[in-house]
Amino acid sequence: MINNEMRVRILGQLDRGVDEIDKMLISGDGPLEIDFSACTFVAVDGLEWLEELMLRADSAKRSVHFVNVPPVIYKVFKISHIESLMRACGGVSSNKSSKGPVC
Amino acid sequence: MAATTKEELELMLTERAQSLTRQARLAAAVFSQYSQEQVDAIVKAMTTCAIDNAPRLAKMAHEETRMGVTEDKVLKNLVASEFLYAQIKDKRTVGVIKELPELNMVEVAEPIGVILGLAPVTNPTSTVIFKSICCAKTRNSIIFSPHLMAAESSNLAAKLLYEAAVAAGAPKGFISWVDKSSRLRRLSEILFSHPEVDLIFATGGTQMVKAAYSSGKPALGVGAGNTPVYVHKSCNVPSAAMEIIISKTFDNGTECPSEQTLIIDREVADELIEEFRRCGCYICNEEEVEKVADAVIDARTGGMNYRLVGQPANLILEQSGIKVDRHIKMILCPLKGELRQHRLAVEKLMPVLGYVLVDSVEEGINRSLDINYGGGTGHTAGIFSEDDAVIERFADAINAGRIIVNSPSSIGGLGGVYNHLNTTLSFGCGTGGGNITTDNVGIKNLINYKRVPRRKNYLISFQTTKNIYSNPGSIEHLKSLKCKNAFIITSRSASRRGHLSMVTENLPAGCHSDAFTDIGTEPDFSTIQKAVQAMRFSKPDAIIALGGGSVLDAAKIIRLFYDYPELDVKELAVNFLDFHHRMVEFPQVMKTQLVAIPTTSGTGSEVTPFAVLKDGYRKVSMIDECMLPDVAIIDAQFTKSLPRDITSDTAFDALTHALESLVSTFSSDYTDGLALEALRLIFEALPATLKNPSSILFRHKLHNAATLAGMAIGNASVGVNHALAHALGARFNIPHGRANAVFLMSTIEYNSQIPSKFVSIPCYPLWVADRKYARAAQFVGLKEEAVADAGPYAGYILALRRAVYDLGRLAGQPLSVGELGIPLEEYMAALPELVETAFNDMSVRSNPRYTLAPEVVELFKGAYAPRERP
Ligand SMILES: [Fe+2]
Repeated sequence: MINNEMRVRILGQLDRGVDEIDKMLISGDGPLEIDFSACTFVAVDGLEWLEELMLRADSAKRSVHFVNVPPVIYKVFKISHIESLMRACGGVSSNKSSKGPVC
Repeated sequence: MAATTKEELELMLTERAQSLTRQARLAAAVFSQYSQEQVDAIVKAMTTCAIDNAPRLAKMAHEETRMGVTEDKVLKNLVASEFLYAQIKDKRTVGVIKELPELNMVEVAEPIGVILGLAPVTNPTSTVIFKSICCAKTRNSIIFSPHLMAAESSNLAAKLLYEAAVAAGAPKGFISWVDKSSRLRRLSEILFSHPEVDLIFATGGTQMVKAAYSSGKPALGVGAGNTPVYVHKSCNVPSAAMEIIISKTFDNGTECPSEQTLIIDREVADELIEEFRRCGCYICNEEEVEKVADAVIDARTGGMNYRLVGQPANLILEQSGIKVDRHIKMILCPLKGELRQHRLAVEKLMPVLGYVLVDSVEEGINRSLDINYGGGTGHTAGIFSEDDAVIERFADAINAGRIIVNSPSSIGGLGGVYNHLNTTLSFGCGTGGGNITTDNVGIKNLINYKRVPRRKNYLISFQTTKNIYSNPGSIEHLKSLKCKNAFIITSRSASRRGHLSMVTENLPAGCHSDAFTDIGTEPDFSTIQKAVQAMRFSKPDAIIALGGGSVLDAAKIIRLFYDYPELDVKELAVNFLDFHHRMVEFPQVMKTQLVAIPTTSGTGSEVTPFAVLKDGYRKVSMIDECMLPDVAIIDAQFTKSLPRDITSDTAFDALTHALESLVSTFSSDYTDGLALEALRLIFEALPATLKNPSSILFRHKLHNAATLAGMAIGNASVGVNHALAHALGARFNIPHGRANAVFLMSTIEYNSQIPSKFVSIPCYPLWVADRKYARAAQFVGLKEEAVADAGPYAGYILALRRAVYDLGRLAGQPLSVGELGIPLEEYMAALPELVETAFNDMSVRSNPRYTLAPEVVELFKGAYAPRERP
């Protein structure tokens, strides 16, 4: 933990939720950074868990950032059409009411 | 919670659609990470599951739909699994799927995403098996919308294959289905237009397919069928009878490619009908045909009665009020009267088959077309014939995606069993059936193809005259020329100046010669024809061209038309953008050898593949390797008496060639070397020649420079300066080299600035004109000038422009249009014409700066005022 910011890395396949990250979300109050550089695969359950995590983070008013997302995983996020994942990656909102290009 | 109001029900269905598509969407996203090996393992597991469950699913489908024949449904399930697998197992569907080395291109697969798959009542399980396996192979998700009357069996097939796939590692939720309920149709409608559905893969009734197409989404649909089968007299009749029975009774006729009407050559009709009867078919009389039509055709729609689809022949006879006491395989109805209006000349997905007799192949094809265009365009047709020519005529005429030869059209249409068609349960009908493809739709249609073209390997070649003799006195080489009869093409002045006798004196011993001395300054096609005519009498084996650029150019064209009299000058002079893609085709080999002896040091025509000819008021250019002379004799003895102005004019043409070829978009290391050395020689030898006009040494250097620059433009071409000069020269009758000289100061400056528009030519990946001018300055030995706040090459470019200016002034060469004595008013009046001519000149196409029309105007305007030293 640096300056209240929590950092965690996903290792290998994300085929289910990661308890440690769930706990970090409850325990801290600063931003949470999830590093995907060592993530090799995201399964449907992993994807659903990420979406839920973002929902819980929103209600807990905590910001979650995905960093070092490999293109293969980033494309999974893109195809999934889950807006909160794109926000976590720093993308602009793809909200249909927004003007200009969307992610 | 049970929905009560209509709104609540609609909301519930919308939520269900949302949940189905979301699940499919996530699966599609996850699927994008799968490797070919992972996908293939999943496909294998699904196929095994389908084969294991083929009988169970067939039985269930038959029980649920009360259509078709269980045994045949087993076969369909196996075709959709085992046969399909054999065809697709080794196909690449992930990553790079095709390499096209000859095109320097690869194809990379991108999945479609979420597919909505329809399953018809006639093939409820085989279609699901087929589409599921195809989707797994292509990493797509699929949501099945089954037919209400077959939903239990369709959905069980989907569930079984899905479970097998997930066990083999497939993403959760990649196959799903709409459950059987009274709301199935409404839920399917919602899915049709759901934003998360990427493609509708429709197979089924016309209505469903129409709905798919009108959803506004990409759709793979299939049209209706009405298969004509022509039985030509050359066929093996008993075999044709058996194949047709196999096909039309297959699953009680539910397969849409199956035979609907037979068109039978009268010569074999009795034998064929008798064979049908012998094999257990029922042949109706005229009265019975009407009865069958009453039962089989829905009087309201004119189409088939859906209650009888897939029903056995005996049941149909019974419904028709025809009593038989034996098992009947198939009912045959002779269709009398106007075929196009016969009630039974439509699709009948049941074992009822119409037939007509014909007396010729023409009539056979025409009646087949009547059926084909009577509701089955683009779908399927069949022919039984041993005559390849008849088969070809039939295939040419009939509009069908599948034309099945000497085999059952239904199982034949499925592909993989009787032939090498792709296995499918979905028959594309092309535009005839309102579809985008005539394919047997399959994995090929479920991939987005990403083409990755690399840059073309641009062909850079270098051609020039094969034998060049370049020392003073090299005219003597003529003596060793292998020729018995030479034809000398030259101008009057050449004979006056003694050049003609220098040639004739050096001809090989015993060589006869004739001369044509009528080439003027701007020869036209009538001159060419006169010369060719003269040559027809003389029958030479060598042409010797002696003179300046016009003579040499004319000789190239004269040889072309002497060797190939059938050629058309207009066809050969068609403009082109790229030499490699031009339309014009020139002969490959020339028959008569051409020796070029230049008497000026300018055009370099002795080593170029170009020739310019006057055609009325315009000039046409012909360019081809075959125009290159075979021998060039660069003997400065022919130039030593050239007057000062011609010496300077022609030297400035050569200088322009060197500068323009150096910066040309087609320049190469080969042409650069030639251009640079030509420049160096001109800067050295032109002042020296003007000082000592009779010095053979400097004349020799100047002569060589022109030839070197000719080789450079022969391969790299020229640029905008020549376009301007051509226009000015034609309009004001200015000699070519002199016209070039007046623009040089402008065009070097113009081309050395970063282009307002870059040139899009694959062989020119980087704009380098500025550094090439700088290199020229360095090569010539100029010192970098001091230029404030300019680019890295500006000092050298300025040095080059000053050197060109100084050379011009030394030679007394006009360096602007005004210096030519052309009145400004006259020049400005001619400007629109000059601009148009220059803009359309082929020379601009190899200029390193894309020459925009307003820039051509500015170049002309800027070239008028007398030049001052830059
Ligand atoms: Fe020229």
